Amino acid sequence: MAATDIAVVGYAQTPSVRMARESEVQLLVPIVSEALARAGLDRREVGFTCAGSCDYLTGGPFAFVSNLEAAGAWPPISESHVEMDGAWALYEAWVRLQHGDIDTALVFGSGKSSPSKPEEMWAQQLDPYYLAPLGVDPASLAGIQARALLDSGKATERDFAEVVARNRRNAKNNPNAQVAGDYSVEALLEAPYVRAPLRAHDFPPISDGAVAVVLARGDRARALCDRPAWIRGLDHRIEVHQPGMRDLTSSTSTTLAARKAGYDGGPLDVIELSSTFSPQELILREALGLAADANVNPSGGALAANPVMATGLVRIVEVAQRIVEGSAHSGLAHATGGQVLQHNLVCLMEGD
Amino acid sequence: MTDVTTPKENLVMNHLVSLTYSEELTPILERYVDALIDGRIVGHKCPQCGRVYVPGKGYCPICVVPTTDKDEVEVSDHGTVTGFTIITPVAYYGQTETEPFVYASVLLDGSSGNLGGQDIVGVPHDQLHSGMRVRAVWKPPAERSAEGVSNRGWGSVASVIDAFEWTGEPDADRSVYEEHIF
Repeated sequence: MAATDIAVVGYAQTPSVRMARESEVQLLVPIVSEALARAGLDRREVGFTCAGSCDYLTGGPFAFVSNLEAAGAWPPISESHVEMDGAWALYEAWVRLQHGDIDTALVFGSGKSSPSKPEEMWAQQLDPYYLAPLGVDPASLAGIQARALLDSGKATERDFAEVVARNRRNAKNNPNAQVAGDYSVEALLEAPYVRAPLRAHDFPPISDGAVAVVLARGDRARALCDRPAWIRGLDHRIEVHQPGMRDLTSSTSTTLAARKAGYDGGPLDVIELSSTFSPQELILREALGLAADANVNPSGGALAANPVMATGLVRIVEVAQRIVEGSAHSGLAHATGGQVLQHNLVCLMEGD
Repeated sequence: MTDVTTPKENLVMNHLVSLTYSEELTPILERYVDALIDGRIVGHKCPQCGRVYVPGKGYCPICVVPTTDKDEVEVSDHGTVTGFTIITPVAYYGQTETEPFVYASVLLDGSSGNLGGQDIVGVPHDQLHSGMRVRAVWKPPAERSAEGVSNRGWGSVASVIDAFEWTGEPDADRSVYEEHIF
């Protein structure tokens, strides 16, 4: 039985921007300090540090090592890194905290998509025999997924546009968002296809950004934060690598992760989904069994800001922040990795 | 038992990957490069511990405090050889050297860290030693460029400084370089 007394007690994130002049570690230094300061924790007290980033994205071997300088690695610290979204770094820290010998952890996720060509770079994530040599990029796969969803009769192009309009409207209240504003569904539907049936607005923005989280356990969490955002359940599940070998219109792994995390389908105050392409929000809503009027992506979600390798951890922060600040009591955050929702993580959170 | 000596047909599939990255230098590196082209070497001095990083990082990784242009300091183009290797090149793809060459670490006066991979000219290889005092041999101003300095590198000076040469001074005291042998 997993512990239920581990909580988010501090957090900070950079605004998401199209191109940050600072290096990844320079983006991280101030927000790691801010997250620790919010929790009132000295960096030397941190029991374990875990980071998520992608060297391919940075274009430098071992780029993740210099990112660690944001945490301060002298005197030597206990740390780890995942070549995954920071949400998985949080997962590792959550597991580590359950060993019981430490009671605080620092987690961060960071990514700069601006230096690379995402359509070129992310094709390398696919298998090296069939798909990577073809240069199949995430947007093309998302187009195939969207087409499958339309063909299944589960959604229409209007549904996609409504997802975009709502997320961009929500993003108006998010100072860290990159794309925000009022857009009519009719106007969105008049835009040309980029990867039919997807239009440019169905894609996430290309973003640079970073996010940091402080976790604490039990009494330490209560001492560091008036209203900790307790992680009541956390699970992640993965599906086959080859996108052609699964039903792209559903997300079995999300359903399973939610169930294993203890989500019973009941009402939640806030839900943040890493749906980087608009049809994916519809797939995730169904996979989680959310009600039509559920409060999904009040931040604007990944369609408003997509700092890859931080996007999922930002979802956790958006939920945690609302619990810590008292505007929500319960919430669910989702993170994803791989192509077209291959790997999914669900984090269930609750206030006291 | 498998006969490992029997040649077998290897199935090889070539998958050549070329990824393109382009970005501007960070503002700190831009200032660093501008200074180099101007014949000056600048870094950031940590306001807390006083360590000087060349080029500046925008923070001190030991103290984890931010540093800014206000913390910029100029260091000398004279320094001390802390360690070196004589590399005898072997032929491999991309190797352009044919004769043994020097790969030395130089601790510039005023800096807290070595400048790695520097050539030392005018000194027979068998007379090179740690503690030797050296100075930069700058390229003529018109030949200096920002090439080689990138956000992913370690602040290369190869596009502005050709090599280092002996200053003629006596060796530095061991205490100057014994913590910097690398």
